[in-house]
Amino acid sequence: MKHLVRSQGFGAIIGVVVMLVVFTLIDFSGWWTIQTIANVSQFTAILAFVAMGQALVIMTKEIDLSVGSVYGLAGVAFITMEPALGVPGSFVLALVVAALVGLLQAIAVVKGELPSMIVTLGGLFTARGIIYVWTGGSVHNFSPAARSHPMTRLFGGELFGIDAAIFWLIAVAAILGLLLWATPFGNGLLATGGSRESAETRGVRTDRIKIAAFILCSLLAGFAGILTLCNQPQTHVTLGENMELEAIAAAVIGGCLLTGGRGSILGAILGALIVVSFRYELIALGAPSSWYITFIGAVLIVAVIFNQKLARFLGHSA
Amino acid sequence: MTNTHPLIQVKSLDLHFGAFHALKNVSVDFHAGELIGLVGDNGAGKTTLIRVLCGIYAPSSGEVYFDGKKIEKFHPKLAIDQGIETIQQSVGLCDNLSIARNFYLGREPVKRVLGIPFLDFAKMREKSTRVIRQFGLRENVSADDEVERLSGGERQSVKIGRAVEFMNRVVIMDEPTNHLSVREREHVNELAVQLKEQGLLVIYITHDIFQVHKLADRVVIMENGEKVADASTDALTAEELEEVIRQGGRLVEKREAV
Repeated sequence: MKHLVRSQGFGAIIGVVVMLVVFTLIDFSGWWTIQTIANVSQFTAILAFVAMGQALVIMTKEIDLSVGSVYGLAGVAFITMEPALGVPGSFVLALVVAALVGLLQAIAVVKGELPSMIVTLGGLFTARGIIYVWTGGSVHNFSPAARSHPMTRLFGGELFGIDAAIFWLIAVAAILGLLLWATPFGNGLLATGGSRESAETRGVRTDRIKIAAFILCSLLAGFAGILTLCNQPQTHVTLGENMELEAIAAAVIGGCLLTGGRGSILGAILGALIVVSFRYELIALGAPSSWYITFIGAVLIVAVIFNQKLARFLGHSA
Repeated sequence: MTNTHPLIQVKSLDLHFGAFHALKNVSVDFHAGELIGLVGDNGAGKTTLIRVLCGIYAPSSGEVYFDGKKIEKFHPKLAIDQGIETIQQSVGLCDNLSIARNFYLGREPVKRVLGIPFLDFAKMREKSTRVIRQFGLRENVSADDEVERLSGGERQSVKIGRAVEFMNRVVIMDEPTNHLSVREREHVNELAVQLKEQGLLVIYITHDIFQVHKLADRVVIMENGEKVADASTDALTAEELEEVIRQGGRLVEKREAV
């Protein structure tokens, strides 16, 4: 219990509880329906993949603004290359494309010693531009055969009425959690974000760790794109737009500090849940959808203040 | 002591950072079981020199021999693997990690499950707990606590404990007693002497002339990237040593000329 309270995700746990109580009080019949829960959990799972990757990068004291475009680019690659490569082939290609974007950005950041905010802003525009050129601005679909391919079902289908994305999220989150907290790589990653100089004096290859974090982040964003398209196999050029902002918001709400070294995988998932729930509930309550971004902004600021107060409180009481 | 071959031998070392000539033709020998004071003003090149020894900077020209073997590649990891530990004032511990995690950072003990290396938490906790008790941390500090909680002296104790625990041959201390209370300073200095007596080479960087004169066997003085003096502490008093630093090594030259 002490560990849970002191962990970075604790603020997000409180946030989720408060949010659920509020939604229950103001909209009990609308919120607690199978349909709402299914939709919210599906969207949460997708955003959580992107947010977990973002969290890993933020924990190394960098940021990745390109994830929304990478999400879209991997999705476009997956759908458009399927006629030529088949579902498994285009799946692998899409992930390779995503990993490559992550690698290139990481090399620019680590070897070129450039600020990741600028490099990945470039990546955001570049990857989005490639989407426009690649698709020619038109919508692409899976053929009926590709829709019923076992692999498409595996990533986009359901089991016991629960979307596949949720099972994938649980599995991948468990692996990432172990990687982060229980392996030498994770220890090195947290150290890199905490104090890069100190980590280097201990022989930690912080450059390699940052490169790995960027690649993982892009892979997770790309995988999220594939999961979305397996569920609804249709691309459009705006696929994943603004997702980087939601992912950063989710990671920060989940307790990631932009100063590096602190964050939580569970927190990123709960942060995604908060972001998605707000979007869904605001629309359900009939608020104009344009207000949604404003609300996310407000939630983000409140969450940062709350997490900071919580950290100070725990620091003093320890 | 000096008839054995030097543990670290630096020959005609030069280091440029762009147009800045940080180290100029530095040659110096260090032996096992010695406590060397490395002194000089800010910007004299002391820290730059030890950063070469611990693999952070590669020299522009010149050679470094460790235990008779020429060092070809400079990397912190290689230096650590060879047993060269650096204790710097503000660097070396990550505030966001526990003492146990810091202790083993970069060489974590692992237990393999299905071939995957997982941290061996039990071993990390047990060993680092023993060391922090031995090196005098408060009783209510546990190995699971984040380093953030520690005082300046406790931080240095963790670093020194780590250096001892990993059977190092060289411990470089870069101003280890800055910002410490009097008692903590004495504790750290006792540890430095203890390391030397165990046969380690200790290189001690400081601004405190009187302290280093008391501690060290030999003092190496640097100025503007050059070694300007290298003398046994038996050969000159602390006051003379201070004068040498103020004069930029000229006093020693005068003495040698006489």
